[in-house]
Amino acid sequence: MNTMQSLPLLQNALTVGAILFSLGLVGILTRRNLIVMFLAAEMMLQGISVSLVAWSRYHGDWGGHVLVIFVLTVAACEAAVALVFVLQAFSRTGRLDSAAWQSLREATVGRMIDHELPSIDTLPPRFPTLTPAGILPPADENEPLQRQHV
Amino acid sequence: MQEFSPSTLLVLVPLLPLAGAILTVLLGRRLGAKAHLPAIAGIAGAAAVAVMLLAATARDVGPAHGAHAEPVRPVEMITTLWNWATFDSAYAPPAGSPAADPRLSPQDLAAGKDVRAFSIPVALRLDPLTATMLTIITCVGLLVAIYSTGYMHDDPGYPRFFALVAMFVFSMSMLVAASNFLLVYVFWEAVGACSYLLIGFWFTKPEAARAAKKAFLVNRIGDFGLAIAVFLLWMTYGTLDFHDTISSDGVIMPGIFGQTRLADAAGYVGGALGTAICLLLLLAACGKSAQLPLHVWLPDAMEGPTPASALIHAATMVTAGIYLITRSAPLFAACPGALTLVSIVGATTALVAALIGTVQNDLKRVLAYSTISQLGYMFASLGTGTLLGFSAAIFHLLTHACFKALLFLGAGSVMHAMGGVIDMRRFGGLRRVMPITAATFLVGAAALAGVAPFAGFFSKDEILAALHAKGWPAAHGDHHAANMAGGPFHLARFTTDSSHTPGVSVGLDALDRPETWQILFWMSLITAGLTAFYTFRAVFMTFTGPTRVPEGAHGHGHSHEAGHAGDTGHGHAGPNGPTGHGHASHAGHGGHIADSYESPWAMTLPLVLLAIPSALIGWLLFSTNWLSHFLSATPSLTAPAVASTATPHVFHMNLAIQGTLAAAIGIVIAAIGHLGRSSDGPQMERFLGPLQTLFANTFYFDQIYSALIVRPLEALALVAALFDRYVVDGAVDAIARIPVALGGIVRRSQSGLMQRYALAGVMGVLGIVVLLAWQLRG
Repeated sequence: MNTMQSLPLLQNALTVGAILFSLGLVGILTRRNLIVMFLAAEMMLQGISVSLVAWSRYHGDWGGHVLVIFVLTVAACEAAVALVFVLQAFSRTGRLDSAAWQSLREATVGRMIDHELPSIDTLPPRFPTLTPAGILPPADENEPLQRQHV
Repeated sequence: MQEFSPSTLLVLVPLLPLAGAILTVLLGRRLGAKAHLPAIAGIAGAAAVAVMLLAATARDVGPAHGAHAEPVRPVEMITTLWNWATFDSAYAPPAGSPAADPRLSPQDLAAGKDVRAFSIPVALRLDPLTATMLTIITCVGLLVAIYSTGYMHDDPGYPRFFALVAMFVFSMSMLVAASNFLLVYVFWEAVGACSYLLIGFWFTKPEAARAAKKAFLVNRIGDFGLAIAVFLLWMTYGTLDFHDTISSDGVIMPGIFGQTRLADAAGYVGGALGTAICLLLLLAACGKSAQLPLHVWLPDAMEGPTPASALIHAATMVTAGIYLITRSAPLFAACPGALTLVSIVGATTALVAALIGTVQNDLKRVLAYSTISQLGYMFASLGTGTLLGFSAAIFHLLTHACFKALLFLGAGSVMHAMGGVIDMRRFGGLRRVMPITAATFLVGAAALAGVAPFAGFFSKDEILAALHAKGWPAAHGDHHAANMAGGPFHLARFTTDSSHTPGVSVGLDALDRPETWQILFWMSLITAGLTAFYTFRAVFMTFTGPTRVPEGAHGHGHSHEAGHAGDTGHGHAGPNGPTGHGHASHAGHGGHIADSYESPWAMTLPLVLLAIPSALIGWLLFSTNWLSHFLSATPSLTAPAVASTATPHVFHMNLAIQGTLAAAIGIVIAAIGHLGRSSDGPQMERFLGPLQTLFANTFYFDQIYSALIVRPLEALALVAALFDRYVVDGAVDAIARIPVALGGIVRRSQSGLMQRYALAGVMGVLGIVVLLAWQLRG
C-alpha cells in the first residue's frame, strides 16, 4: 500500500510523462514529415496518459486507468483515420512533406519554406508493382528518387 | 318597358367584355386561332345591350318637341352595386362652401356639427350621354374586333390582343358609366393602361416600346391634373358622386351633377377655385384626348396594331376628354374663362395638327394628326359652353368615331395588303387592286373632309354654327337675339353666376369676348379646308395614279400569309419564299402586279358596315335633330347656365356654304397636286418651301420638350445617380471595408504551414496556463 501511494513513484511517472509530452511537442513543431508529425502527436498523447495513470495510482482510484484504456482505444481508431488522411495527402502531392500544402496560405502572405519543392509534374509516373519473387530484378533507377521525395 | 330591368342590363355592358377578357386570358392558348371568340361574343353582347339601353333611354326622354321653349326633364338612372369604402367623419365642409348644409347656422358649422362620412359607392349611371357613349364604344369595338380576326391572323400574340381589346371595352364603358369621380379616375387610368399595352403590343420592336412609354408618361401629366381636380372637387363639394344620395338619416346629399345642385343657382363654385378645377380637368382632357400641348403621344401611338389605333386612338379612348368636359359642363359653365380656354386649346390644336397633317407621308400618321385635329374641333365646340356646342361636340364625336374608325381600318387594310408598308410614297393607284377598301376609304375621307351629304359635313357645320353664334351673337336666333344682344350682357350673366366668391376676378374671364370667338371661328374654318386637303391628298396618293405596290406585298389568294410583324414598314413581313396556292404571285418592285390585293371578308365587312353610318348618320341625326334633343336630357346639360343657351334647330345655309367652300378649296388643291400622279413626287415640298420643314418636324414639339423637360430631367437623374453611386454606395462600401481591414491584421498569420498553427496553439495553451498560475498563486 505504501509503495502504491508513494510520492517518488508519482514524481518519476510524471517526469516520464512530461518528457514524452515535450518530445512529442518538439517533434510536431520541428518535423515536416506527416507520419513523423503524427507519431509525435501520439507521443504527446501517451505522455498525458502516463501522467493520468500515475495520478490514478497515487490516489488509489481506478478511474484513471479505465480512462486511459479508453484513450488508447480511441487513439487506435484515430490513428487509422489519420493514416488515411496522410495517405490521401500523399497520393495528391506525391510527397509526405507538410510544406507541400503551403499553398493553402493567405495569398498575401509569403512562403515560409525557402526552397522550391520540385513540381509533381517533373516526377516520372509511378505504377503499382507486384511483390518481387524469383530472381532479383535489375535495380530501378527511379526508386532512389522516389524514396528521396518520401 | 318593364320587360327587362335597365339596371341589370347596364351592369351587363361592362361585365360581358370583362368576362370575355378573362376567358380569353384563361383559355387563350387552348383556343389558339379561335381565341377571338370569347372577346367578340362579350363585346357583341355588350353592343346589343347598349343599343337596347339607348332605345330605353330615348323612350324615357320622349320625342322632340317643336321648340325648345320648355326645359327638358333630366333623365338618369343610378345603379349602386356596392360600397367600395366608407370613411366616417371624413369631412366637415367649411362655412360658406356650397357643400355646407344650409339648414345649419354658421355657428354650428364652425363648431363642426356638419361632419360627414366619405364613401365611394361603385355606382353606374345611365343617362343620354352615357347611353350614346356606350353605344359608340361597343359598336365600334365590335367591328374592330371582327376586323382584327383578319388583320391579326397568325400573330403570335393573337389571344393577348383580343384579351386587351375586351379589357379596353370594359374599362371604357365603365369610364363613361361610372357615376363617381373616383371611379372615373380609376377607369381613366385603366383605359390608359390598356392603351399602353396595345401601343406596345409588339414590344420587341424598340419603336413600339418607346411609343408606349411616351404615351404613358405624357398621359401621366393629364392624369395628375385629374387627380388634383378630384381632390379639389372633394374639398369643394364634399362628395365625388355625380348623383344625389340619401344618407341613412334621410338627408339628401347633393351630388356634383345631381338634380339638387343643378337646380340651385349658386350650386357651382366660380372664381379662382372653380377655374382651377376646370383647368385641371382641362389638363386631364388634354392628356387623354391628345390636345396641345400634350398631343405628342398620339402620332407615336400609331406603332400599335392598326385595329387598336382605330378603336382606342381614333374612335373611343381619345374622346374620354370630350366626355369628361361634357359631363362637367355645369362646372365649366361657372367659369367662362376656363370654357374659353377649352375652345382656344381646341381650335389651336385643330389648326396646328391639320398643318402638320398636310406634309405627313405615313398614311397612319396623316390619320393620327387628323384625329388630333378633329378632337380639337370638338374641344372648340365644347368651349362655347352652349347647349348647341356641347351637343355638336358629341355629334361630331359620334360621326368621327364612325368615319375615323373606317379610315383607320381602311389604312390597316392597305397596310395588310402592302406587306406592312404604310408610306404613301411607296404605293399608288390601289383603287384598281383594292376596290372595296378604296370605295369605303373614299366615303370616310368625304365624311372627314366635310363633303356635303356625308356625316362629317353636318357635325362640322354644327360646330361652326356654335362658334359663329358666340362670335356674332346678334346674327343668331330671333328669339335669342334679345337674350344675347351683345358681349357685355353675356359677360354679366356669367359674372352673376360666380358672384358668391366676391373679390375674385379671374383674368381668364377677359378672354370670353366676341373677338376671341371670331378668331376661333376663322381658325376652325381654315382647319376645315386643311382637313379636306390632307384627307384627299392621302386618298389621291394612295388610290389614284399609276398602280404601284411595294416589294414584299403579296397578291391576294393568300392574304393571311401576308404577315404584318412590322407595322410601320420597317422591313416587310411574311414568308419570302414561294407562298403558293391560288393565283398568288409575288409583286416585285415595279414588276408584276397581282390582280387583287383586297383583304379578306373579315376586314372588308367592318369597312362596309362603318361606311354606311359614315355616309348617312349625319343626315339622319341632323334632319331629325334627334341627338341634340336626346342629349339635352343629360343631367349635366340641364344646368340652367347651359340649358338657357338652347337655340332653335336651324340649318345655317351661309355657314354650310363657307364650310363646303373651304372643303372644296382643299380638295381642289389636293387634286392639283396629287390626282392621277405618281405618289412619290415632291409636290408638297415644292408647294410649301421652308414651311414644309416646320410642318414635317411637327413644329419641333418633340425637340422643344426634349430640351425643356427631358434633358433637364435627365441631368437631374444623372446627378441623383452620381449621388447614389458615390455618396450612398460609398458609405455602404466604407462600412464594408471595416471587417476587411480588421481581417487584414490576422490574415498575416495564415502561413499555410501546420507547424505555425501548432505553435500558435501551444502558445495559447501556455498563455492560459500562465494566467491560471498567476491567478492561483495566492
